[in-house]
Amino acid sequence: MKKHLQVFLIFLTAVLLAGCSGRSDKDEIVIWHNMRPEETKILQEQIDEFTRKNPGIKVIQLFKETEEMRSGYIVAAIGGQGPDLIYGPSDQIGPFVEMKIIKPLDEVFDTVFINSFNQSALIEVEGKLWQLADKLGNHLMLVYNKKMVPVPPTNDKELIEIGKKLTIDKNGDGRPDQYGLVWNYTEPYFFIPFLTGHGGWVLDSLNKPSLDTPEMVKALKFMKALRDEYKIIPNEADYNVADALFKEGRAGMMINGDWSWSGYGNAGIDYGIAVLPKITSTGLYCKPMIAPKGFSINQRVEGERLERVKALLEFVLSPEKQIETALRVKTFPTRTELYSDKRLLADEVLNKSMQQINNGIPLPIITEMRAIWDAMRPPYQAVLGGSITPNEAAKQMQKQSLIKIKELRESIENPVWGLIVQILLLVAAGVTLFMMRKSITGFFRNLKKDSFAYLLSMPAVVIMVGVIFYPFVYNIVLSFSNMSLAHIHDWSIVGFIQYAKVFSEPQFYEIFLKTIIWTGANLFFHVFLGVTLALLLNKGLPGTPIFRTLLILPWAMPQYIVALTWRGMFNYEYGSINLLLVKFLSMSPIEWLKSPAEAFMAVIITNIWLGFPFMMIIALGALQSIPQELYEAADIDGAKWYHKLKSITIPLIKPVMIPAITLGVIWTFNNLNIVWLVSNAGEPSDKTHILVSYVYKAAFNLYRYGYAAAFSVVLFLILLAFGLTFLRKTKATESVY
Amino acid sequence: MDKKKLATNILTYIFLTVFTLIVLYPIMNVITISIRPGDKLMSTSLAIIPENATFKNYIELFTNRPFLLWAWNSAIVSFVVTFTGVALASTAGYALSRFRFIGKQTTMLGLLTTQMFPATMLLLPMYIMLIKLELLNSYLGIIIVYSATALPFCIWQMKGYYDTIPFSLEESARIDGCSRWQAFYKIIFPLAAPALVITALFSFMTAWSEYIVAAQVLQDTKLFTLPLGLKSFESNMSTEWGLYAAASLVVSIPVVVLFVILSKWLVSGLTLGSVKG
Repeated sequence: MKKHLQVFLIFLTAVLLAGCSGRSDKDEIVIWHNMRPEETKILQEQIDEFTRKNPGIKVIQLFKETEEMRSGYIVAAIGGQGPDLIYGPSDQIGPFVEMKIIKPLDEVFDTVFINSFNQSALIEVEGKLWQLADKLGNHLMLVYNKKMVPVPPTNDKELIEIGKKLTIDKNGDGRPDQYGLVWNYTEPYFFIPFLTGHGGWVLDSLNKPSLDTPEMVKALKFMKALRDEYKIIPNEADYNVADALFKEGRAGMMINGDWSWSGYGNAGIDYGIAVLPKITSTGLYCKPMIAPKGFSINQRVEGERLERVKALLEFVLSPEKQIETALRVKTFPTRTELYSDKRLLADEVLNKSMQQINNGIPLPIITEMRAIWDAMRPPYQAVLGGSITPNEAAKQMQKQSLIKIKELRESIENPVWGLIVQILLLVAAGVTLFMMRKSITGFFRNLKKDSFAYLLSMPAVVIMVGVIFYPFVYNIVLSFSNMSLAHIHDWSIVGFIQYAKVFSEPQFYEIFLKTIIWTGANLFFHVFLGVTLALLLNKGLPGTPIFRTLLILPWAMPQYIVALTWRGMFNYEYGSINLLLVKFLSMSPIEWLKSPAEAFMAVIITNIWLGFPFMMIIALGALQSIPQELYEAADIDGAKWYHKLKSITIPLIKPVMIPAITLGVIWTFNNLNIVWLVSNAGEPSDKTHILVSYVYKAAFNLYRYGYAAAFSVVLFLILLAFGLTFLRKTKATESVY
Repeated sequence: MDKKKLATNILTYIFLTVFTLIVLYPIMNVITISIRPGDKLMSTSLAIIPENATFKNYIELFTNRPFLLWAWNSAIVSFVVTFTGVALASTAGYALSRFRFIGKQTTMLGLLTTQMFPATMLLLPMYIMLIKLELLNSYLGIIIVYSATALPFCIWQMKGYYDTIPFSLEESARIDGCSRWQAFYKIIFPLAAPALVITALFSFMTAWSEYIVAAQVLQDTKLFTLPLGLKSFESNMSTEWGLYAAASLVVSIPVVVLFVILSKWLVSGLTLGSVKG
């Protein structure tokens, strides 16, 4: 045993040293991007070529998911770090400029270079250039399967007509096996073309939201009609369902963006793309949003480093590299000289793409767009779910967007209360120290007497305090502050305002109740299933090791993929759960992901599945502490199994289970991931939130860091109250013997 | 009597089989995704073995992607965290279970409170702290953070298990001439094997599956751990699902192997058989 320990310690030291020396080169250029895999491959090839030509410069590219890249970049840049280059959609520029974390590019590049780009590729805010796009697009178009749709529709009437022909119930089970049209229509971005086709737009000429319009109502009615009246689209479709239907040749047409097309070719679909159809009643084309994607430079990049970054950008953005990328992944280039290039004009997809780009509307580069999307989504989904009318939805969208913009732009100043709270905080710290004075002096007096106990517990306590203390205090301070988009760098203490906002939040209590249901249901089933299984597995029957091993799999698998698999299983038409209910239990299918209560249930079921193995393992361990003799003695007394359970098993596994249950409650209460993945960030209509996912969506995403911190402190206090009561009731801090 | 026992045993098997099948179904789906051509997360077909099934994702994973490097990095980080977790939790848990000392209650509660704050909110200050300590792009930084994440549960859990072991054991050991450390190390530590297994598994999983902190701290691709590597198959609306599913399955294998190895102690005969509490 000792020998092993030594070997391990040497190994540990070696690893830690390796970890330290493994620090990356300070001269490396780091790029964060959200490119898809095939684009990333091309970028890497171009980087390789560049570094060959420029020995001495190292470049690494890192993929980040769009949302995570945005928040991660903000965190890193506020800390004075982060990548040199950040590549992403143009709508992230608004907040970056306001936070002053990217650099104006007109000071880096000369005018001749800048002027060689398409005007839409130059992302300007407040008269300065902040992003240089290398791709125009992200635009939705009509993709069609040439085998099923020989000639694509040019207007809505043809679309519906072709759609009706193609929506067929082949096996006569009452649900179509093939659809005319599929797409991710529950997401507002994918609805925009029909809004513009009806003459509407999300902003007025002053960049204020204009969502409560007759055009919006018409567009919403049209969407509902496509599904309920003409029945050419599936009852329920998210991105992955639509994608699967089209790839399997079970949908004639699809509305999807330029990122997806090459994937359909790879999946063996003979696809064509067409400009989105015209709406006959208005005579207007359905215009998608056009979003450029491109590079911005981190604010902190200066001097020689900036020169290198500039050289890299000039290389990657050169016409030669752009056309290469365009031809391979079918994205649209931004250097104007390429627009007359024969290779581009000869490419059918790029040619069509150009037509659609000319017939699209640029995505507004204002920070408010985030608030507008967040405001549109719930009422939009509620209309599709049938719980409100299009008229009401339009009104709600407008109202919510104004509220959310106000929240996004909130700028709280309150120096008086700020001062008072600062003094109060100091006093509180002083009083705490004063009250603890006996403990502190006692600690030093007893240090020697209890040295063994302190020696054993100190290493762990030091690590914990070292890691958690600063972040903890930082958050408490932040919760009294006004840190928000308006005050990212210059935040100050403003008092209890953020707390007042938390408690006056109309949805707080409703979501709190949901969180309690969520936590209670999960924990009950985790513990119940875990202990039951542990008891069965502990009987020592032959073959149980196999069951034991198989049953921990939900815990061992990465959560992301299994959560999304569950989401797929809950699908209305194709999910296995509904098929099971219909076939074997003769029930009618349940709209799992479309109705709030069922969606919430779906999330809970998924999390029960994920969480019971952990409790099972704990219970298995706990059962080992029970002496067999106790059961034998009970058997002699003729005790029934439930007597043994009640008077031997449960009391004796309690000391081990209580900590697991307490922490289980805390973790489940704050478990953001599963809600986020299974319900797709709170869908439908933000009705499946628990407190922590709500604060993430409604505060963190709108850069209201002070408010989010106050909300977190409230969550913390709720859990603290729970923890104290629960532990007092169960006496878990006391010893058993 | 025997007939009755047979009946309960059969019932146990039936229940276990049915339950295990239900539990495994979603994982079967992941297997299906990993061998399905065309990168589809969803399918309208319920077949477990898809049409034109292929192992090309697995081959791709091991030949064209630095998967083994990620796995090695993750293994190093996870083992160090596991070791730290077991070493520190077994000692701290013992102190909290056996001794009365000033600050004990505070420590117990303090451990719990560290878990109560939503993790997303702690990221910014933690990141700023790691910058100041120059721990970006190093394993030392994430190992410390992971250990701190895993320890509260491990300590509480160890403490709970020690609580079920009677005091009399150490007392007799002390009478036999053991020092306090020897009484702990030679007598109590081995008896707590099932709890140590749980501590080890939990610490390992904390490090093995953590993504958010790693993504912020590790920028060098050579240092990437598995969750970061897996993330690179993801992308907005064009994830390499086949590859992702294949990698997820492979990633779970070491956890299962570790569990199988450790279950010897989790359900061993190391009960307190000879001890009369």
